Amino acid sequence: MLKTETFTLNMGPQHPSTHGVLQVVLELDGETVVQAIPHMGYLHRGIEKLAESRTYAQFIPYTDRLDYVSSMGNNLGYCQTVEKMVGIKVPERAEYLRIIMTELNRIASHLIFMGSLAIDLGASTGMMFGFRSRERILDLFDMACGARQTYTYIRFGGVSADIPSEFIPALQRFLTDFPAMLDEYHRLLTGNEILYHRLKNTGVISGQRALEIGLTGPALRASGVDYDIRKVEPYGIYDRFDFSVPLGQVGDCWDRYIVRMEEMKQSASIVTQALEQMPEGTVMATVPKVLKPPAGEVYHSIENPRGELGYYIVSDGGVNPYRLHVRRPSFINLQVLNEACQGLLIGDVVAVLATLDSLMGEVDC
Amino acid sequence: MVGKGLLEGMRVTLKAFFNKKETLQYPEIKLTMPDRFRGGELKLDNEKCIACGLCARACPNHVIELTTGTDEQKKRHLKSYVYHSGLCLYCNYCIEACPTNAICWDKNYENSRYFKDELDVDCLAISKQKSATVDVAPADKSNAEQEDTLKRREKDE
Amino acid sequence: MQEITGLFKIAEILRGILGHFLPDPQLVDICMSLINIGAIFTIISLTAVVLVYTERKVSAFMQRRSGPNRVGPGGTLQSVADMIKLMAKEDIMPAGADKWMWILAPILLFIPAAAVFVVFPFDNKAIFADLNIGIFYFIAMSSQSVLPFLMAGWASNNKYSLVGGMRTVAQMLSYEVPMVLSILGIVMLAGSMRMSTIVAAQQHTWFIVLQPIAFVVYVITATAEINRAPFDLVEGESEIVAGPFTEYTGMRWALFFLAEYANLLAVSVIATTLFLGGWNGPWLPGWVWFFLKVGGMIFLFMWFRWTFPRLRIDQLMSFGWKVLLPLALLNIIVTGIGMYIYEFFS
Ligand code: SF4
Ligand code: SF4
Repeated sequence: MLKTETFTLNMGPQHPSTHGVLQVVLELDGETVVQAIPHMGYLHRGIEKLAESRTYAQFIPYTDRLDYVSSMGNNLGYCQTVEKMVGIKVPERAEYLRIIMTELNRIASHLIFMGSLAIDLGASTGMMFGFRSRERILDLFDMACGARQTYTYIRFGGVSADIPSEFIPALQRFLTDFPAMLDEYHRLLTGNEILYHRLKNTGVISGQRALEIGLTGPALRASGVDYDIRKVEPYGIYDRFDFSVPLGQVGDCWDRYIVRMEEMKQSASIVTQALEQMPEGTVMATVPKVLKPPAGEVYHSIENPRGELGYYIVSDGGVNPYRLHVRRPSFINLQVLNEACQGLLIGDVVAVLATLDSLMGEVDC
Repeated sequence: MVGKGLLEGMRVTLKAFFNKKETLQYPEIKLTMPDRFRGGELKLDNEKCIACGLCARACPNHVIELTTGTDEQKKRHLKSYVYHSGLCLYCNYCIEACPTNAICWDKNYENSRYFKDELDVDCLAISKQKSATVDVAPADKSNAEQEDTLKRREKDE
Repeated sequence: MQEITGLFKIAEILRGILGHFLPDPQLVDICMSLINIGAIFTIISLTAVVLVYTERKVSAFMQRRSGPNRVGPGGTLQSVADMIKLMAKEDIMPAGADKWMWILAPILLFIPAAAVFVVFPFDNKAIFADLNIGIFYFIAMSSQSVLPFLMAGWASNNKYSLVGGMRTVAQMLSYEVPMVLSILGIVMLAGSMRMSTIVAAQQHTWFIVLQPIAFVVYVITATAEINRAPFDLVEGESEIVAGPFTEYTGMRWALFFLAEYANLLAVSVIATTLFLGGWNGPWLPGWVWFFLKVGGMIFLFMWFRWTFPRLRIDQLMSFGWKVLLPLALLNIIVTGIGMYIYEFFS
């Protein structure tokens, strides 16, 4: 008797396209995916536990290491949470600097998304191009805080230092060049029929299902759900800017791609507006050296490039957090992988994984 | 028309083919790091240090290990100061905490090592040695090396 | 063989020298065959070395990098260094591999890639063997490469390899058909399958002018035949690591690599011969024209690779059967009708 059976393929943890050390256990029927179960934990460093033995301020550098391609957002989320707990007022100029930095970081992060999507689909030139533009942003960060990836720039009560004088001209140069760069990517990738057919109608997640599972960020908005914390619950000074939230329709890989490409444009416009409105002044409020938040708990979330990044802190009134939990969007978004991949082909798993844009540093906190 | 996007993409890559290259040839050309660059190893100025230990206290990862002692005039001074660069998060907290600006980054980003124990830097010894001998700035040294390699390459060609 | 070419003369002289030392003419023949094989192997290795270097430079330039530039002047010796490195590498055989199949696969892949070299018309009268079924021979030889891929995939005892092997069969078989059909139009026009006759028929007009559709179909199918992006599913790095080659190391892997670049050269040469007029061209000597055109074709294939994303396996199949095949058939019909009309009027 002839019979067929499925076989198991371990994709990762050492695999060219699992973005860090993710293992996806694929159950395959020929090339068709029956199940795709992500196994994580290869990058677990126990950051949440580490927080309990660090002072509040000392934990900021560790947030850099969560989602290491958008560290500014991580810094911001954490600092705002603690500020909410203690009740610190942040100076105007610092607020604007925070916006500029996080939005630039969003662009940088989406550029990585674009590049890694391109190389996962076999177009390595797209990746090189994406990384080239990102380099311009990293240069700006380097100028402002001396680091290219682990910034620790945003601190309680402001930012660590005012921007140097050469920063603004360089930023303006970047903002003028950016539309041309974006146009180049659109011509190289977005217009490409092969890319379109690879992404269109693969890995569809309906809006309803996305909400049920708790997807956030571009992955949720691609499914047509209009939820952006910057609009819904404006933190910092986001209510002062005029920007739109790009939405997708069907929630396939293509929508997730387009939503992110559009978001870059919006972020650039926010940076431009912030640059125009930014007042002079100090960038740091007076904050006690050793912070002792009152006993209690607080949750605060911001819109990171990958979704809702939330910090939940329990304080017992001491110098260290009693418990700290991070709601990591990458981790929660990754849940949908199995559902989105069922019935697709091996090549599509890569595309779904790339468009969900989960970052292993954040998945294994 | 089908295929227009493909041709457009080919135009982009062809243009890139003839454009200026973006990369730098690393060992010959080195980027100058911005003023605020955090990286390399900690450089201690023994004369400025008052052995207060604030840097070690501020450090989130216990990177700095120092012991102090008092001399005849009851003045505190450092007995040892070890910086474990393998553990460092490069967060700048130690430098910000120092009341006398006794530490700073040496800005030499070429700090890969063959052995793990070479990552532990005895800053005090380096600082003492430096004040004893004539100051050779690390930047000059790397410049000299740079010229050397350039010369060698010229000879090769 | 009536063609007396430079290479042929060298062979004659060698044969003469050997005849002095070896008593038996049969021994001389054997020696000559060995020398021929050695020569072809050298040529292919050299081609691979040059092509790898070119590929790395082209890819670098398209990505705004400078590419290899350390070993030798302008990095030209980089691929030589890589070759030496590959030869020095440890030869690892996976546990549970099907030993003989595993060992044979790279060799069997390499033989057809080398064998097609004999029908390349480098210049007027410079052709190793001007078979009267030259094109047929090329097609027959190049389709041999399906089996070794499957062998390698099966024998490696690795799932990625197996998936890659299965993909190869699907892809190569379905792209062979439109490729043959696209070539058929040329054969109809030239009225011969002999390489030299086909080139001679293009003295005035290149066949690319008369057969533009066939050219497009040929280029697409050829890209698929040699497993290059956007049809590099067989070794799709981000999906199945390296497909059938996943478990190979050192020299065995290098054989795959050599065969790949030999095939790249082969399809470019055939494209030049069939569509771009072979050695025909004004002013310059024939072989210069030939190599210029081949270089152009190779650049085109590299350009594709460094621009396009990869197709998916089902899209690849439906594109082959539903678009390329009808297109190629249509081309044949149009060519036939056109030829009939042309004959009717003249
Ligand atoms: S940079 Fe940060 S981690 Fe490194 S020694 Fe200073 S305080 Fe410690
Ligand atoms: S904080 Fe400055 S002065 Fe105090 S021990 Fe450290 S280096 Fe010395």
